[in-house]
Amino acid sequence: MNSNVWILTFADAISIATTLILATIGAILTERSGVINLGVEGILLMGAVTAFLVGDGTHNLWFALFMSILVGVAMATVHAILTITLRANQIVAGLALVIFGTGLSQYIGKPVEGKSRPVTIEPMHLGKLSEIPVIGPILFGHDIFTYLTWAGALVCSLYLNRTRPGLVLRATGDAPATVDAQGVSVAMVRFVHTILGGALMGLAGGWFMLARGTAWSQAATTNGIGWIALSLVVFAAWRPLRAIAGAVLFGFTLQVPYTLQGQQINILPPEIVQMLPFVATLFVLVALSTPRARKLLGAPKMLGQPFVRDER
Amino acid sequence: MIIGNFRIELEPRLTSPKWLYAAVPAGSLVFAFIVGGVFLALTGHSPIGTYSSLISHGYTSTKGITNTLGLATPLICTGLAAAFAFRMNLFNIGEEGQMYLGMIGSAWAGIALAGHLPHVLAVPTVLIVGAAAGALWVLLPAVLRAKLGTSEIVSTLLLNYVALNLVNYFIFGSRGFFRDPTTSFPQGRGVEETARFHSFGTSNTYPTVIIAVLLAVALYWFMKRSNFGYETSVFADSPNTARYAGMNSTKLTLSVLLFSGALAGLAGAMYVVGPAGKVDPGLLQIGLGYAGIVVAALARYNFFAVVLTAILFAGLRVGGASLQISSNPVPIAIAVVLQGSVLLFALGGEIFRRNRLRIRRVQQVSVAS
Repeated sequence: MNSNVWILTFADAISIATTLILATIGAILTERSGVINLGVEGILLMGAVTAFLVGDGTHNLWFALFMSILVGVAMATVHAILTITLRANQIVAGLALVIFGTGLSQYIGKPVEGKSRPVTIEPMHLGKLSEIPVIGPILFGHDIFTYLTWAGALVCSLYLNRTRPGLVLRATGDAPATVDAQGVSVAMVRFVHTILGGALMGLAGGWFMLARGTAWSQAATTNGIGWIALSLVVFAAWRPLRAIAGAVLFGFTLQVPYTLQGQQINILPPEIVQMLPFVATLFVLVALSTPRARKLLGAPKMLGQPFVRDER
Repeated sequence: MIIGNFRIELEPRLTSPKWLYAAVPAGSLVFAFIVGGVFLALTGHSPIGTYSSLISHGYTSTKGITNTLGLATPLICTGLAAAFAFRMNLFNIGEEGQMYLGMIGSAWAGIALAGHLPHVLAVPTVLIVGAAAGALWVLLPAVLRAKLGTSEIVSTLLLNYVALNLVNYFIFGSRGFFRDPTTSFPQGRGVEETARFHSFGTSNTYPTVIIAVLLAVALYWFMKRSNFGYETSVFADSPNTARYAGMNSTKLTLSVLLFSGALAGLAGAMYVVGPAGKVDPGLLQIGLGYAGIVVAALARYNFFAVVLTAILFAGLRVGGASLQISSNPVPIAIAVVLQGSVLLFALGGEIFRRNRLRIRRVQQVSVAS
């Protein structure tokens, strides 16, 4: 077997991981505040179709990505209003977002279904670095967003663990009553981070469309990546830096089916290989469910619980 | 909140009047149609014309309503499946995959068993095997949830993608048991004729619709009267109370999730004994499992309301499909946009059922001396 192929697979895994990291960090910020947003898949789809349509109309890459972020913000705002202001069930509200996003992306994307992407996010040329054997193509052949995303994960980690607003955020997810007693608005903290999370998810969808997706296809573009990102949050134990490692691992399972197909390696039929990312994710969730692993994870204690101040 | 001279407040209601239970979903439907109308207008379609065509093709014509009832049949089952689990705060969102497995299981029974059975037993056997296959598909998430407390939400959902690829494998990826051996065209092998129902007249409604409605009635009665129904409602309200009262939460969780999976599997089986007669990848395009969750949530997990909501939603889909065939075709996805919007509005509208909106004029305090 050609070893170059596997180098390329690793490189692709790291590239795909970009979208997973963005979506996962978005979900981590949301969940750390105590809000669970299951709408990731819907936001990714809407981000992707927006990037495609805006890119098609304006041929401006930056504007296309900006609009993806805006759509992510809009959808997360709907989730925030429903779950924080109106105290709707967070699980059902998230599912409603998925269904709404799936339908709307399919509806507005119908005229361009199957068309190839209008603008492309090109990989950067890092000169000599990219020419180093093995490491070069794996680490130094990506576009700027991949590197920015890694930096973003670091910033997010520092924000959570080293700053005062980060401390307030973590406290809001674990003990909202304490935060409220301190005179900080729980609703405000949750609103801000749910919306920030939505922005990252929207960007994740837009980036995926313009960097990885060759053509817009509602059924195939994101293909469940949003749900994998939600599992990654658990895998990363709600810590942004761990999300990078997890995302690369899951990116690998997403890429392997295509490598095997491209190489005409038919040990298993393609439909069975396509199950790999989902079976792997399920396996990881099972492994993380043992009581010992659970103790180490430390999920936000009030995740999914609306906060109502006792007024007496 | 104070706007101008008015103070807007939400007061919790002790009891909600009956009409509000219907007014919130009805209002949500109106708002959803407005949102859908905006997108229709933006994409160059007349909202009024589109909706009147949708309503006549989905509900008010004989062909429309019988098509709708036919599609509603499996949707009632997935809706009941979601309502049954969500009631106990068990968020089984894998109805889609469980339904596919129901289709595979019942097609297997229809091909392998039905020929050896007397006619009266053939259809029931096929339906039961389909339900069992659906239950089997939720077994792993159910055991994980009951024994280890793993969230069932993501695990049931991930299995949808596995089930989807499994159906594709049986029909497109292999030349195995489920594929029609007589043709090179990839399609499912037909089940025995004895394993199928005839539709009513020339319509697309099958007797399975009666089974689905009876099932809703039976479930309502069972959950109201049985010990099991009582225990699940206690558990839903307060898991701690249930535990102190000596109820076995592991057993309850397992049985609720498995039964939910069986109901979703039954949806797939009804598709086989009714219109399909084989493993049909066409089912993968409709999303009846996901729609079942919307139906259940909109029906507020009431089994009777599930039946009505399922018929409503099936009509949207049937009417939506007819819109694709016209000079200015509207993508069928408009039906999904409407479904998603209805649910979003209904969730938001709940607060107005639980609270009373009071708008009072603020007393102007004169400070002039």
